[in-house]
Amino acid sequence: MTVLKRNLRELIRYPSAIIGIVIILLLLFVAVYALVTIPYSEAVGKWAGGEAVWYQNPKYAAPAWYNWFTSKKQPVSFLVKTADGSMKKTVTPSDQDISTMDIEYSFDYQYDSPPQELTTYIYATFADKFPFTSISWVTPDNRTIRIADYQTDHKLVVRFSQEPKLQKRLKTDQVMAALFQDPKSKEPKILKGTYRLVMTSTTFEKNSDVNVELVLHGDLFGWAGTDLYRRDLLLPLLYGTPIALAFGLFAALGTSLLTMIIAAVGTWYAGWVDELIQRITEINLVLPFLAILIMVGTFYSRSIWLMLGLTIILSIFSGTIKSYRAIFMQSKESSYIEAARAYGAKNSRIIFSYLIPRMVPLLIPALVSSVPSYVFLEASLAVLGLGDPVLPTWGKIIESAESDGALYRGLYYWVLEPAVLLMITGLGFAMLGFALDRIFNPRLRDI
Amino acid sequence: MTSEIIPATLDKKAEKKTKGESTFKRVSIYTLVRLVTMMVTVTVSVYLTILIANMGGYMDVIMRNEIRENTTQGILLNPAFRNLTTDAKKELIAKKIASEEQRFGLDKPFAIRSVIYLRNALTLNLGRAINMSSDHGSKMVRNILLERLPATLLLTGTSELFLFFFSVLVALSLSRRYGSLWDKLVIAFSPTSASPPWFYGIFFILIFAAIFKILPFGGLVDSPSPSNKVLYGLSVLKHLILPALSVVISSLFLSIYQWRTFFLIYSSEDYVEMAKAKGLQSRDIERRYILRPTMPTIITNFALLVITLWTGFIITETVFQWPGLGITIFRAIGFSDTPVIVGSTIIYAYLLAITVLLLDFVYALVDPRVKLGTGGSK
Amino acid sequence: MTDEKALLHIEKLVLYFNTRSGPVQAVDGVDFSLDTNKAVVIVGESGCGKSSLAKAILRLLPRNAGTYSGKIFLEGQDVMLLDDEEYRQNIRWAAISMVPQAAMNALNPVIRVGEQVAEPAIVHLGVNKTDALSLVKKMFQHVGVPEGFISRYPFELSGGMRQRVAIAMALVTSPNLIILDEPTSALDVLTQANIFNVLKRIKKELGTSYILITHDIATSSELADDVAVMYAGQIVERGDAFRFFAQPLHPYSSALMASVPTLRGKKMLDFIIGQPPSLINPPTGCRFAPRCPSRFEKCDQDPPVIEKEDRKVRCWLYA
Repeated sequence: MTVLKRNLRELIRYPSAIIGIVIILLLLFVAVYALVTIPYSEAVGKWAGGEAVWYQNPKYAAPAWYNWFTSKKQPVSFLVKTADGSMKKTVTPSDQDISTMDIEYSFDYQYDSPPQELTTYIYATFADKFPFTSISWVTPDNRTIRIADYQTDHKLVVRFSQEPKLQKRLKTDQVMAALFQDPKSKEPKILKGTYRLVMTSTTFEKNSDVNVELVLHGDLFGWAGTDLYRRDLLLPLLYGTPIALAFGLFAALGTSLLTMIIAAVGTWYAGWVDELIQRITEINLVLPFLAILIMVGTFYSRSIWLMLGLTIILSIFSGTIKSYRAIFMQSKESSYIEAARAYGAKNSRIIFSYLIPRMVPLLIPALVSSVPSYVFLEASLAVLGLGDPVLPTWGKIIESAESDGALYRGLYYWVLEPAVLLMITGLGFAMLGFALDRIFNPRLRDI
Repeated sequence: MTSEIIPATLDKKAEKKTKGESTFKRVSIYTLVRLVTMMVTVTVSVYLTILIANMGGYMDVIMRNEIRENTTQGILLNPAFRNLTTDAKKELIAKKIASEEQRFGLDKPFAIRSVIYLRNALTLNLGRAINMSSDHGSKMVRNILLERLPATLLLTGTSELFLFFFSVLVALSLSRRYGSLWDKLVIAFSPTSASPPWFYGIFFILIFAAIFKILPFGGLVDSPSPSNKVLYGLSVLKHLILPALSVVISSLFLSIYQWRTFFLIYSSEDYVEMAKAKGLQSRDIERRYILRPTMPTIITNFALLVITLWTGFIITETVFQWPGLGITIFRAIGFSDTPVIVGSTIIYAYLLAITVLLLDFVYALVDPRVKLGTGGSK
Repeated sequence: MTDEKALLHIEKLVLYFNTRSGPVQAVDGVDFSLDTNKAVVIVGESGCGKSSLAKAILRLLPRNAGTYSGKIFLEGQDVMLLDDEEYRQNIRWAAISMVPQAAMNALNPVIRVGEQVAEPAIVHLGVNKTDALSLVKKMFQHVGVPEGFISRYPFELSGGMRQRVAIAMALVTSPNLIILDEPTSALDVLTQANIFNVLKRIKKELGTSYILITHDIATSSELADDVAVMYAGQIVERGDAFRFFAQPLHPYSSALMASVPTLRGKKMLDFIIGQPPSLINPPTGCRFAPRCPSRFEKCDQDPPVIEKEDRKVRCWLYA
């Protein structure tokens, strides 16, 4: 325990170690948070979901915080509904089963451009008689524009910019602009202020009800923006964290431990075992690692567990065996090993209780430093299109961004968000591994 | 004056080592041995690849396609059969296919088939692509891949060479300035090497192509490509900058740090002290006492670095639309073009083997301790 | 031993190393002289600062060197005043050379032995390569290394051969002074004897002076004209070898001699209790006092150097 404390105190002297640890802790926190708040099935299901799940979001929306950096504010999307009370609904029954529902939503519009789209989703429950709905729009300067009147079916979708009657009424097909612009100004300027959407529905049956969702598709959305399928990028960013960490850590841990054990076994038993391990290492050296992963991924399965297992198997017999072997060779000749043999310790006991524990301090920096390469490997596979078919990962985001030409279209956030996360993860582990190496590597001690 | 009593035992040991150690002989024998070993290794490697590929029967598919193509073409183009009816032709084709399949052992157990595939693979007889074809219209996988190879070699070659020489030289001068600002900078930036080249590629494209618009987004040359050879070359160079830069930057700081640490460790060796005591100039000490003894270790490390680079270049090429081997593999994945994927894995194995062999050769040149057949102090 | 005629005269040489726990005062005010064609043996326990003294004389300061001061007069000229480049050109190997401990590691593994020995000749004597190599051949003859070894690499030579090569290397520029740091501690007894014979012969033929640093008093007694005893960074006794071996003055020297096994005579080997003091914070007063069997109250003060019949000793017993 004191050894641990001493090393920890030594570690804290390096600022890179502190930064690394902080980053890793943050990532772990996010990972746990993601796993706790989004159950696995929900994450996978939502990620695979199409329009039905994501219809409320605009496509290709940048994150809402872009507005902090620009002078011209872009409209941020939002969604309100009567069902959860974010939209006010008052029901006034009159005689003969007829009721009037006044649904209203007012919002402050301070942006410099009109939104992409305003849509109302109207859900009516009734038996025979269609409710009747009329929608109006009240501008900050108190002009009222009638949007449309409808016989309301069970589900009625009114997309304002595609409403022919509204287009005719406004005498333009640029509906959004017309709804939001200042009529008095000669150049197109947005009229800022409080806008109100007023809807009146009349139902003709006793148990008839009308519920409304109002969706404004702005240029911006949420914390992370959206992709071409309207998916909130926050989901794969959050959920990709535990996946990246798990892949990286498992691969690094598995590979390091197994490499060490194999090196120890080879050195201890010597003879043909050692030779065999050397040969296998040489063969593994020319085995094209990524190409084989690609082959397996294309031909058989892209499951992340398979990729993980394969990665470990192909990484065990690496060049590090040689350096571990050199160190084990030294330990093997030492006197306490001789003593152990003298008292008749079993080979396995010597290997596991004596040789390997001496190796562990040297293992740690190598382990930590190798995590980033595995995290990036998983992302690389995803970018190649061989990512796990169901899991939302960072690499997947980059892959869809690349195939949709995000960089050419100026949709930088789409690529940068996962890239930055990848980079931070890589840096965190690399910095910590670096500092650990300075402490644990005996050859570096004199420097 | 040799009236010294030189004990006989000591001298015998010294004598054994006189057996013709001229550099040329030593290096060539060593290289030959390594070459043979490498061939064996490649064979095993390729065999493993075939095994993996054929677990799902993909090699068989390639073979069958090949037979069908060849036979069909052979019969259709043969003037002797021109006058047969379509049905007769079809029958003839089917019969020939069956006999060919038998000839190639497709009806034999897998063990034998795998050896045939192995022989094909080793001689680069890689079959026909399903969807893809080379720029010259050939569907032979070998042609497709070999056509793309030069571009990849250009990219990896320039980046790796630049990386090596630049890192070693900077590291050498850095080892003299231990604790200086540059030293601290390099140490601080070393963790940046955790990210692979394609990662930096994305950022560089963003900065230099999308925002500043001074370098191209990707590709090998401007299109339409300049007819003038000099302009063509210059255009290629311009397009080479960002991809090569990505590859270099992704390994640069860590490489410099590693070599500099080597040099620091080795400069505290006794013989360096000795050289200083002898009053040699620091320039000579650096060259002969620090650089030369560490060269073998540096080369071994460089070999590992190169192999890592070979692993990553697929995505790098894809990000930059660089028409090399990597992007071909990427497209093959998209098309599920099995023969191309399997073929490229095999070419990959060859590339790695050649790289290792080359570096082994250089290692033998540089380290006089390398003896026949062994790897010296590796 | 008049100081004016001395080949080497050191005054108050100080060398401290900076470590994480504080400055290690390895060489703490050493005064020392050596005449031409004389060999002085510096003995002491491990860690008393002997090797650091050698480094200090040759200005081979490690990266963590701290205080470095004092005067080093070589044939009357204070070489401490020379800047590094002058020192490199004129002193290193031209005037003073060194045979290091464990020559196995002191030879560059990737350069042929002959070339390495020739290097100082080329640099300091300004000869071309061919002339340098013939010089090397002559040196090899002196030390008993077969001529054919010139084109060999160090790993092809045995330990004893390498040590001889190192001696040849130290001789090639015919310096006046050679510092030998434990020249035979890594060798077997037979080779040790041979090496010392070589050294004796060279001293006679070439008139070289030696500073021989060792903890092996027995073997070096053959070569020594003078003996100096070093303890905790200071020289505690200095005098000619004959009288030293017959009757050492300082209690530490007596204890050292008492712990050396002799071939004849039944002797109970003595030992010195305690440990040498840490050089990071050397105690005030006589540094040997805690372990000295003859200590008394005066020993709480730092003893001065007392001269007694041409021998120098740093001990209150002789005040």
